[in-house]
Amino acid sequence: MTELLGIYNYWIYIILMMIGFYGVIAKANLIKQAIALGLFQTGIFLFYISMAVVDGGTAPIWTTVGDGAVKALGPYDNPLPHVLILTAIVVSVSVLAVALAIIINIKWSYGTIEYDEIAALERATEREEGDADA
Amino acid sequence: MSEVLLVDSVLLFLVTVCAVAIIEVRSLYAVAMLSSVYSLLMALVWTNMHSMDVAFTEAAVGGGISTILLIGTLVHTRRDEKPAKRRLHLPALLVTILTGAALIYGTFDMPRFGDPNATIHHYRVPEMMSQTVAAVSGREGKQQPPEGYEAPPRMTPTAAEWAGAIHAIDEAEEALEEAQHSAPKASEGEHHEGAEEHHEGAHKHPTDDFNGHVPNSVTSLLAAYRGFDTMFETTVIFTAGMALIMLLRRRREEGEDDFSQRGATLSGQVILRVMTKMFIPFILVFGFYVITHGEIGPGGGFQGGVILATAFILYALLYGRNALYRIIRPRTLEVLAACGVLLYAGVGVACMLLGGNFLDYAALNAASPGDGEAMGMTLVEYGVGITVCTVMIIIFNQLAELPSNPSRRRAGAKAS
Repeated sequence: MTELLGIYNYWIYIILMMIGFYGVIAKANLIKQAIALGLFQTGIFLFYISMAVVDGGTAPIWTTVGDGAVKALGPYDNPLPHVLILTAIVVSVSVLAVALAIIINIKWSYGTIEYDEIAALERATEREEGDADA
Repeated sequence: MSEVLLVDSVLLFLVTVCAVAIIEVRSLYAVAMLSSVYSLLMALVWTNMHSMDVAFTEAAVGGGISTILLIGTLVHTRRDEKPAKRRLHLPALLVTILTGAALIYGTFDMPRFGDPNATIHHYRVPEMMSQTVAAVSGREGKQQPPEGYEAPPRMTPTAAEWAGAIHAIDEAEEALEEAQHSAPKASEGEHHEGAEEHHEGAHKHPTDDFNGHVPNSVTSLLAAYRGFDTMFETTVIFTAGMALIMLLRRRREEGEDDFSQRGATLSGQVILRVMTKMFIPFILVFGFYVITHGEIGPGGGFQGGVILATAFILYALLYGRNALYRIIRPRTLEVLAACGVLLYAGVGVACMLLGGNFLDYAALNAASPGDGEAMGMTLVEYGVGITVCTVMIIIFNQLAELPSNPSRRRAGAKAS
């Protein structure tokens, strides 16, 4: 049981990642796809943060004692994954913002944000052009 | 471990349910709110796993800004997802299940949750600790683990031994301090190893010097060990802001006649207006606190920047963007976004001019490298904070300024 509990977090990270993956593949709506990509990212964040945990550890923030000296009061979690994920979260919101801007542009160009409708429009345009050439 | 895992399993179950709902719910406004809930749950998960800085960022970014961006986009696109022909996309399901199964097979080789023997807790730990736990003292000392610090033997230590290793550092430090107290004053003028100089600096300013350790090791790693990485992350955010301006500016010019709606406000909402006016100063103070205290407690430039941005966005939501532009013009925002990155890089260059390496903050204060570290990190955090804050406001402005009914569309849209 404890063996399984020990990798529970990794399973959840895979499940979250796969839910995001499914969304990216299966959903035609571009906004849904952007959000699903975010789910995929948080899955990876969970993987990193889970790896950082140490049994009986605490936040990797030391305490300032009396004369200003800084002490670690016990075992602490590995701070490196925290740093990586901290910046990754902020980059993920930048990615989301740029994705949304592109989606708005698509909406204005095609009048829709459903992938299959866009593909149909493109095909229709191509056919028209082909007819004009012929 | 058990308490962490207990809370963890409940929270992660909720998170998974939330994720499924995000994919399955068709109303996109509901999806935006669900993704906000999802982020707040994730923030709880991070807190439970002791990563306070990540929780802070997730709550500010995922729970706050992302939701505003999503809703801002939905105004210009559509409310609902088109109903799918089939409820389940079978090929996608097959691909995800296969990939997931392969990954789950891989997890059996992973170290167990919280295992102190995991490779991640040992690989390059001495190098890392030399910039966090250890004396970040002087240019040579910076590359060395502190005296008396021995890396935990690979693949063997238990939690108790791990604690013991940290305890050994403390003892070594105390011994070093005692040695300095008893050292003859005559040696003071000479150039000694950085650690000693630095400790003398500490005695001069007992309250604001950390003896070369910045208490929040996350900030210390962020700004020192991974300083280059963080600088370019800031550049990525800056680039995102610029990309948004370039992607959306043309559109705005096309729909110029709709521009008058820029002033739309919630002027009728008296309670909201009054409460917001009361809250904004506190939000701003909190934002600056989070940036400035980044090296002491959880927080830093990323989180503080986002919190500052929310104050401006809240103001713009209630009083209209014209009111916001009276406080801070769009041009100023763009210049400030660049200034933040320049401040970060500038600190690095200043370190080089003072004889250190790029972003080697110890060079900033030769007499007391620990103070130099703290000062350099605070400056860098402010650089990050300024860029993040202004870019978030820029992104919001760009999305909000779009005319809601595009008058011109490409010919291809006729068919729809």
